[in-house]
Amino acid sequence: MISVTPKNLSEHNVKLDLNNLSPEQVALEIKNLDLYYGNKQALQNISMSIPKGQVTAFIGPSGCGKSTLLRCINRMNDLVDICKIKGEINLHGENIYDRHTDVAALRRKVGMVFQRPNPFPKSIYENVVYGLRITGENNRRVLDEAAEKALRSAALWNEVKDRLHESALGLSGGQQQRLVIARAIAIEPEVLLLDEPTSALDPISTLTIEELINDLKKQFTVVIVTHNMQQAARVSDQTAFMYMGDLIEYSDTNTLFTTPAKKKTEDYITGRYG
Amino acid sequence: MDNLNIGRHISGQFNEDLERIINHVMHMGGLVEKQLTDALTSVCDADEELAKKVLSNDYQINNAEVSIDDECTRIIAKRQPAAGDLRLVMAIVKTITDLERIGDEAGKIANVTLESLSGEHKDLLSNLDNLGRHVLTFLQATLDAFTRMDFDAAVKVHKSDDKIDREYEALMRQLMTYMMEDPRSIPQIMSVIWSARALERIGDRCQNICEYIIYFVKGKVVRHTTPEDFESLS
Repeated sequence: MISVTPKNLSEHNVKLDLNNLSPEQVALEIKNLDLYYGNKQALQNISMSIPKGQVTAFIGPSGCGKSTLLRCINRMNDLVDICKIKGEINLHGENIYDRHTDVAALRRKVGMVFQRPNPFPKSIYENVVYGLRITGENNRRVLDEAAEKALRSAALWNEVKDRLHESALGLSGGQQQRLVIARAIAIEPEVLLLDEPTSALDPISTLTIEELINDLKKQFTVVIVTHNMQQAARVSDQTAFMYMGDLIEYSDTNTLFTTPAKKKTEDYITGRYG
Repeated sequence: MDNLNIGRHISGQFNEDLERIINHVMHMGGLVEKQLTDALTSVCDADEELAKKVLSNDYQINNAEVSIDDECTRIIAKRQPAAGDLRLVMAIVKTITDLERIGDEAGKIANVTLESLSGEHKDLLSNLDNLGRHVLTFLQATLDAFTRMDFDAAVKVHKSDDKIDREYEALMRQLMTYMMEDPRSIPQIMSVIWSARALERIGDRCQNICEYIIYFVKGKVVRHTTPEDFESLS
């Protein structure tokens, strides 16, 4: 019989010291990041290290800057004309805001999935292999293997294997979102950004995606923005609470949801007036 | 309710649910206190009627425990409390278990009244009464600390359990001396020992409740640690 002593139990909760991660443990390092939309400052001096192979959640009220921060990680904000960014985001020790960064190559390494599933009006198969095709891969065998691997990783293979060449638009919302995740992981990125990936889905599809996120972290570093605090509590290893452009508290999820250090965090996660 | 701060949720219904549970716990605490007071009075006054009443009223405490437990389960299922709210619900679930056991211990004390003690052993009961009154004060201080979720009071009360332990040990030595002097008195003295033991256990359970208060206020588990460890939290 296995004896479960308090010591054994506590060993299951191995916490990372987020302030002292070794370089091998860090996937992304954000340093003194400021972001302005015109004259309005949307992010203020954000510094944090996102650990490799784990799920990190950003939570906070609407307009707190969590999606903006997420979009900074693959330079999606470059598409906003009035957006100005100071500071650094380092991926493998290289600043992605360096002038010489190849943004297309960066987005290959940092995939993204949005709130609403956005499959292309193509077949399921073509959706998944799209990323590989535009990088010049046309070998049928390679594409087939990559499609099956990605669909299996996205827990969708069994549902679509017999209709790979049917339109992706015929899938349900939950299936479409998993297809979009499959498309994002088919090119084997290092980091996967999920911007409220389940907010348009029913509870069962939401749980399927959450289960998937748990599997995905074995291969990728996952960063998720969610409005659903219970979801952050369920799926993430670390949680960052943001408020009005500031990073208020960033700690391991178990600590943040049971004994938050800051009153603002406590008020937000317990649903109190600020 | 200084530290409870339960009235500021955006959901008014959640505020009401938590307030209702806390009121129920306080009511249960009042019932337990009354049961212990009555049990001690029945021993002191040899009032068999009162002792029987204590035994027959225990169901009220049991019912309160089941009903509060049920309300806490419902809150966890419906509200998924986090942080301070979660710690409060967990502290309540544990506190009511200890309160229910204190109710059972009061019943054990009342049982002594129903055992007829011969006149020469009546003075034993006065020693029991002293210990009983200290334990009752201890329970009242614990319930008071719980009502206000007062960290300092909880630490202070927690420490004072040592006094009860010392008093209990002194009483035990005295009772053992009586037994050695007059072995025929052993059955009667044994029933006094069970009561003293019940009082000592009540002290321990009050200490547990103080630990739940500290957990709620500071978010630190202080069970199985020394008082010095949790004094540093203040």
